[in-house]
Amino acid sequence: MHAGLRSGRLRVALAQVSTRIGDIKSNKEKHIEYIERARSEGADLVVFPELSLTGYLLRDVAYEVPQACRNALEEIKQFCREIYAVVGVVWEPRPGIIQNAAAILGEGEIKCVIPKYYLPTYGLFEEARYFMPGDPQRDLRIVGSGLGAFGTLICEDLWHPEPAEALVRLGAELLVCIASSPLRGLNNLVEGRTWIDHAWGSILNATALTHTVHVVFVNRAGPEDEEFFWGGSRVIGPDGVELERCRTMEEDFKTCEVNLSENARARRFSSFRVHLREFHSILSKL
Amino acid sequence: MAGKTTTPIGLPIKELEINAERVASYLCERLRRYVFEYAGKRGGVIGLSGGIDSATTAYLTARALGPEKLFCYILPTSATPQRDMLHAQSIIKMLHIPEGNYEIINIDDIVRMFADRLGVDSPVIIGNIAARVRMITLHAQAAKRDCLVIGTSDKSELTIGYFTKYGDAGVDVMPIADLYKTQVRQLARYLGVPEEIVVKPPSPALWPGQTAESELGISYELLDSILYLRFDAWLSEEEVSSRLGVDIEVVEKVMRLVKQTQHKRQLPEIFRLSARSHGSDWRYPREWH
Repeated sequence: MHAGLRSGRLRVALAQVSTRIGDIKSNKEKHIEYIERARSEGADLVVFPELSLTGYLLRDVAYEVPQACRNALEEIKQFCREIYAVVGVVWEPRPGIIQNAAAILGEGEIKCVIPKYYLPTYGLFEEARYFMPGDPQRDLRIVGSGLGAFGTLICEDLWHPEPAEALVRLGAELLVCIASSPLRGLNNLVEGRTWIDHAWGSILNATALTHTVHVVFVNRAGPEDEEFFWGGSRVIGPDGVELERCRTMEEDFKTCEVNLSENARARRFSSFRVHLREFHSILSKL
Repeated sequence: MAGKTTTPIGLPIKELEINAERVASYLCERLRRYVFEYAGKRGGVIGLSGGIDSATTAYLTARALGPEKLFCYILPTSATPQRDMLHAQSIIKMLHIPEGNYEIINIDDIVRMFADRLGVDSPVIIGNIAARVRMITLHAQAAKRDCLVIGTSDKSELTIGYFTKYGDAGVDVMPIADLYKTQVRQLARYLGVPEEIVVKPPSPALWPGQTAESELGISYELLDSILYLRFDAWLSEEEVSSRLGVDIEVVEKVMRLVKQTQHKRQLPEIFRLSARSHGSDWRYPREWH
């Protein structure tokens, strides 16, 4: 395990990239470029958005990219000896079954691939048409241990309380949420921000506060068909206070030093220690 | 060999064979319902070029709606071959389209007026103006007669974008658009379209001497086989090339056409602002009660 991740004092790089849909080759090159940049700026972990290698609105192209994703990861992992990377991919766990997933690369290896659990299939979304959802029993895991342990969720997963809670209770001190969140609500701003920016802000702050963990959110930037990914990637401390934020509506790259040992201090001012399992037993029967 | 119009292989592939009788009766029923029940219109308007697609569509529509509910317009320019004019007229005769249900309107003057006033002399731009003048003419006739404009596009041309946006594709319904050209030929023969129309080299006739296959550089037999295997059978480009025994460059060329013309098969892009736009999340049925 990398020193920064071991100690819990780490520099996180937010790679808020724009992606060319279905063009794995050029996306892969951009990943390598950003990984090298993050490494040169002393980052221990670089985070890319959801489906960063492929683009989001793949539709039927989704079936045709898994092999190219796997090949690209094999290449990208060579650049992840001194840095960890979270990369968004289409993953094919078995022939013909594909998942929207986060590949965790580190120590020159593909450490694990974590699928998305909650696939949005409303409004403009149609993920369940293509992807198999992750199975929490099988797929939920944290990477690393101790102060540097982190858990990864994908976009919609954070709009449900359980995945984040489960990861934190498994020991994650840092929650990484990768997203391809399309712009909505530029026609009626909320407190000067788009509705979607406002909504994500509420969820991210609430997640950090509720679980007293650091949260890293990395969203796509730029257009794809009629949609436009609005960026606004950020890091939030366990007190719900923002530590760093990328620009909205355009590509950006920021690094941010986080000290995960601060989670402990925040927990003195929260009831994180209390966990009433009965609520979950009720939930499991509903 | 890329760029050659003749391909020395046994094409089209057998998967392109259709049961023309079943297809014809299905399409007639769908068209009848669409025009009379869904749209609530009195009939259909078709632009006849003398080519196989409009001939097949006219035969199909006459059978579906009845010849008295079909209105045919022959809209030639100076680029229209005399043979196509004769073919178009022969279709009207053979389908027993009643007097008053058809007309020949030479659109040269209108096209020339646009070209002169707009200062264009490129054959491609003028060809597209001609296709759009036909579209305007057919829609005006349809409105006058409370009809729908019945499109004549086939699947081969739609898939590679070999049509004029808002021209020949500017119609209300496309009954044969899920049939590749080689399948349209089978349907045409079943419906009784004269053989010389069926075997005539397809051409948009937007300028003199234009033929589709020489412009595209490959035969429809090969084009249809590539499109079928790539999209219907969903094989990779390499698998299509190996199955057909053609160079990968030929498959790649076809794929380029398909990808470059994707915008022609879709409604114009709307840049998202709101939570629900008239794009990916405007999902009401076409038949909306």
